[in-house]
Amino acid sequence: MMIDRRLVREIDWVLLALILIQSLIGVFFIYSSSHFIPGAYHVRQLIWIGISFLVMLLVLVIDYKYFVSLSGYLYGLVVILLAATLAFARLVAGTKSWITLGLMQLQPSELAKIVMILVFARLFAEYKSAYLKTHHTLGALLVAAVPLTLIVAQPDLGTAMTFIAIIGGAFILAGLRKKAIIVFVLAALVLGIGGWNIALKDYQKKRVTTLINPAGDPRGSGYQVIQSKIAIGSGGFAGKGFAKGTQSQLRFLPARHTDFIFSVIGEEAGFLGVFVVIALYFALLARMFLSVSKARDRAGVYIIFTASLLIAFQFLINILMIIGLFPVVGITLPFLSYGGSSLLTTYVACGLVLNVKMRRFANV
Amino acid sequence: MPENHIYEDLTLVRRRANAVFWAVAVLIFLVLSYYWKVQIVEHKKYTALAEANRIRQRVLAAPRGLILDRNKVILADNKASFKVSLIRENVKDEAMSMAGISRLLGIDVPTLRGRVDLHKDSPLFEPIIIADGLDSRDVAPIESRRREFPEIVVESEPQRTYPNGDLAAHVLGYLQEQTPEEIRARPDRKVRAGEMVGKTGVEREYDDTLRGEDGSIYEIVDSLGRVRGTQATVNPTQGREVTLTLDADLQRIAEEALEGREGVVVALNVKTGGVLALASYPTYDPNRFITRFTPAEWRELMTDPLSPLENRAIRGLYAPGSIFKLVMSMGGLDSGNITPETTVYCSGSTQIYGAVRHCWFAPGHGAMDLSAAIKNSCNIYFYALGRKMGIDLIARSASRLGLGRKTGVDLVGEKDGLVPSEEWKKTTLHEPWYPGETISVAIGQGQLQVTPIQIATMTALIAGRGDIIRPHFAERDVEGPPDMTDRPAIDPALAFTKPTYEAVIAGMWRSVNEGGTGQGARVEGFDICGKTGSTQTMSRESAARLAQAGREVKTHSWFTGFAPRTNPRIVVTVLVEYGGGGGATAAPVARRIFDKFRSKLAAEPGR
Repeated sequence: MMIDRRLVREIDWVLLALILIQSLIGVFFIYSSSHFIPGAYHVRQLIWIGISFLVMLLVLVIDYKYFVSLSGYLYGLVVILLAATLAFARLVAGTKSWITLGLMQLQPSELAKIVMILVFARLFAEYKSAYLKTHHTLGALLVAAVPLTLIVAQPDLGTAMTFIAIIGGAFILAGLRKKAIIVFVLAALVLGIGGWNIALKDYQKKRVTTLINPAGDPRGSGYQVIQSKIAIGSGGFAGKGFAKGTQSQLRFLPARHTDFIFSVIGEEAGFLGVFVVIALYFALLARMFLSVSKARDRAGVYIIFTASLLIAFQFLINILMIIGLFPVVGITLPFLSYGGSSLLTTYVACGLVLNVKMRRFANV
Repeated sequence: MPENHIYEDLTLVRRRANAVFWAVAVLIFLVLSYYWKVQIVEHKKYTALAEANRIRQRVLAAPRGLILDRNKVILADNKASFKVSLIRENVKDEAMSMAGISRLLGIDVPTLRGRVDLHKDSPLFEPIIIADGLDSRDVAPIESRRREFPEIVVESEPQRTYPNGDLAAHVLGYLQEQTPEEIRARPDRKVRAGEMVGKTGVEREYDDTLRGEDGSIYEIVDSLGRVRGTQATVNPTQGREVTLTLDADLQRIAEEALEGREGVVVALNVKTGGVLALASYPTYDPNRFITRFTPAEWRELMTDPLSPLENRAIRGLYAPGSIFKLVMSMGGLDSGNITPETTVYCSGSTQIYGAVRHCWFAPGHGAMDLSAAIKNSCNIYFYALGRKMGIDLIARSASRLGLGRKTGVDLVGEKDGLVPSEEWKKTTLHEPWYPGETISVAIGQGQLQVTPIQIATMTALIAGRGDIIRPHFAERDVEGPPDMTDRPAIDPALAFTKPTYEAVIAGMWRSVNEGGTGQGARVEGFDICGKTGSTQTMSRESAARLAQAGREVKTHSWFTGFAPRTNPRIVVTVLVEYGGGGGATAAPVARRIFDKFRSKLAAEPGR
């Protein structure tokens, strides 16, 4: 399939550049925090960036309307994959979230995020009322519940949480009355209290109680958060210098190159580094969110909005988590954290945004 | 934008999307301010923490609870020892590090590598134990070269020790390290990597009670990783004690009496079912492989043809031989096939179903009633009884006395044994039952299989005149598993009548005290009742052939009995593999235990 020259001109090159700059900053700090252990994580991350970039370009080639029309099948596929993962995948670190495809390990729950974006775009594409109606809400919740239940059962609560961004985003867009908001808040409270008492495992409860009293958990997440906060705080204004952070170099910091990469930035590049990365993020998110004005139809608006909110949500949760303002839930920092699956999802989500944006005039 | 008007009106959703973005923007700004607070305003505080307060957390292993005998003699204790661990994250050059550590610790490289590979799925920062059970002298040279090896850590840990060596080894069991897979399979047990947990015996059965709660220590380390002090310590809590019903003195006598043979001694408290002694020979010293690494000793024990690691008392399957005559007597009396006065004439041999069957006493015992038949262990009497009863009544009687199923003793791996019946043979061997087989079963041969603990439990049932006990090791007040002393192993509805017990006990008393087969167990002034048995380990024909060839043919020898006759206190069951006649070998072993028990009883009458 050849791509129209006019479409190429419409690609948001600034957004593309922001994505790549963020990713490269990530590679630098992955190197800084892992060069002293075997594994060459920075090289692997570069390869993943390459792969994700190519996949993103592939996403651009096909009109997003086509993806939306396929979303029913994709939904079926992802549900089957999730069920299969649950049934067959071997236990990795106590959760069944990985499926091995040849050399590549794939997390179907990551794929599920993208599919949910498309499914919701389809569900709400023709929704023209000013506010969300009850039967529509329930229908959408039911659609989301199937994959969500399978992910919770893995159990991968971190990923399941990111679904809040997609579902909540779509609902906000469709319009929530005060009454609906009250019902949602009440439901969340009931689910939260019920879940705390019934579903949450001890270690997960500990992560929440640690938030209030980090010193109360001698072995687990309290230690992580304390160390992470020390790393960030001791970074000061300008940081300790590249690959010179004592906390990260001396391995006090756990999961340095994955979930806690931003602590390494905070320690080694200081508030300056934190400011630059957050500012770049702000620019990137602004560029993504504000693209809604460029969408040619309702489905496009939903895609741009839920994809942007998904990234914004993970970004906020991660930077809150590592400084001790949110429980340690295992949500990575999009673009910067090491890890192929999360990188790929983030790029595909951005690809969808670019896709909608570049086809704003298109009737092709 | 005018061009949008040719499409649908999207202003409402766009406005909402923009509103959410600005909310996100405000949040981002707030988070950034918090980072400002931590990094700029509180910078000094965190710098101080980072400089002086580099906390490294270490797990302090909890010592396991003690195992004590009934008199609080320590059977399983802990001692201080050191272990060396490798932190893979700190390895700079793998090959060089392996070679260096190999020289330092005297472990060859393949062993070391195998050890590390076993844990390849665990996080890089988790220490992998590569040597343990070291004392301070072993550790000194390692400590002095710590700077060269930042990847290894030396830590102290409590190590299990059994102060009495091989005493009660099969009861206590031993520990083994859990594999990473086993640990992952049971996250609820919270077993830490490298933790030694009970593999057999009491160590396994009461593992949850014995395991303590690990503590942690927060050490302040400098930028070179050297420990500069301790910030906080959460002390480990030792596991709870388990007090056994076992009597270390009796246990020692039991083991001494068996020394040099293969066999079993079980002594039970008749009233409670508490195990006073349980010895299985040959035995082993668990101290010799209380390490995470499989030394030569362990491999030797595993491959030893005499299988010293097996607890023969609960896992050894033997034909009961003449011991089974107790079952026959109980069943025969209860079903009315005989009365205590029923007399049979023994001429030394008899013809049943066209085959000649012999009594063990070739000249013949003459005319005998039941108690004399038990006293002399006469085969002819029980051939006749077996023929009258038939296999199904025999099987039912055996089952009423607890044979053919586990006693429920609190040790893992107990075997069921086997009581054959017509139906059993049809369903498992798809063959009809032959009447001749009934005659073999009547004297405890054929397919019958029992464990020594089943025989001891059965004897306690007879001694207690129907009081059902369940053999057990843990005293009642141990937390954890529910109280087991009262849990019946046999349905009380199936109880025999009191006269039945008295008639059989009368025969057992005569066996020991009136010159019967059990006289070797006799202790002056202690009213012992017992029954001997010797078990053919091969067919009579091949035994005859071997005897002709001048080879010594030895049978397994049994004794089971209790004392005193009224108000009984103790049951002793002895099995000696290839010991010859039960009266000659097993009964004297039992005598030593009875004797010791009696003298202890005399010393403290309150027991």
